[in-house]
Amino acid sequence: MRRILRFSFRNADLPPLSCEFGTRRRRVLDLPLIAWLTVIWVLLWSTLTWANVLTGVVVSAVVCLAFPLPRVDLGLRLHLWGIVCLACYLFHDMYTSGVKVTRQIFFGLPHRAAVIGVPLRCRSDLMLAATAVAVSNVPGGSIIEVRRATATVFLHVLDADRPEELEAARRKVWRMEELTVRAFGTPDEIARVAEPPPPPQLAAGRPAP
Amino acid sequence: MNLWLQIADTAGAVLLLLGAAICLLGVIGMIRLPDVLSRSHAATKPQTLGIILVLAGVALRLRGGMELATLVLIAFFQMLTSPVASHLVARSAYRTGQIEHGELLFDELDEQLTDGE
Repeated sequence: MRRILRFSFRNADLPPLSCEFGTRRRRVLDLPLIAWLTVIWVLLWSTLTWANVLTGVVVSAVVCLAFPLPRVDLGLRLHLWGIVCLACYLFHDMYTSGVKVTRQIFFGLPHRAAVIGVPLRCRSDLMLAATAVAVSNVPGGSIIEVRRATATVFLHVLDADRPEELEAARRKVWRMEELTVRAFGTPDEIARVAEPPPPPQLAAGRPAP
Repeated sequence: MNLWLQIADTAGAVLLLLGAAICLLGVIGMIRLPDVLSRSHAATKPQTLGIILVLAGVALRLRGGMELATLVLIAFFQMLTSPVASHLVARSAYRTGQIEHGELLFDELDEQLTDGE
């Protein structure tokens, strides 16, 4: 007789931290995802009771079965100190460049904007997405396009007629990438961002403004 | 003890006001800036900071464990979803030709897009 529920630590065929469910059509459930959905469910009810937790588990299992996600290896690692650094930098950057954008809105001369491409050092999808989200959370650059094949993000910079501002925008993206990878990346990716950023090939041959 | 509660209440009120002011700033920026892409700067970034400050103010006035966790969840989702929305607006504006290329100083994306074709 086959078991209805099998966990990954008993069965090496399954991906880590998951369980297999069902008798004939077997479905694989991702346990961290269910835990996360349960946490959200409990927070939405805003009282921690056993009934809430149990219904949360049931609802999130039903959601995972009804809307199955493709099985991907995210390569997500959580580094606590890196997350703290990233949060502090994000908040500091939000404040300082918020002040800058404010000054531009009220007293700024009409600046010419530009679209710049910044090549990143990490190629993984998760790091690309996380860096893009982090960059567009701070004022000063908004992401227009992310090119996955070359791992390049394209951002719109408000005051592009000053070359030092452009350089600062590029450096900011690379700094953000380094912090993001240090917070969520695998050791391999952390080693890659420890190297200096690639030379700006895209900016080469740019006429001086 | 009572004094500390008063301090927390006042700080919460100040944070609420500050957050609302920053959100207002975003609206003013939307009126004053010229085109879609510049406006998307003003529309999304100050909102995030403003909402985080408002949530911090609310947290200082509510002072409950579960409420705090819910507020953190709201801030997390705000920071996760608003970049996606602004990216989609910017991307569709760019691709449907809603921006004036003459106004831009230079455009590295345009070169890439035309190279790719």
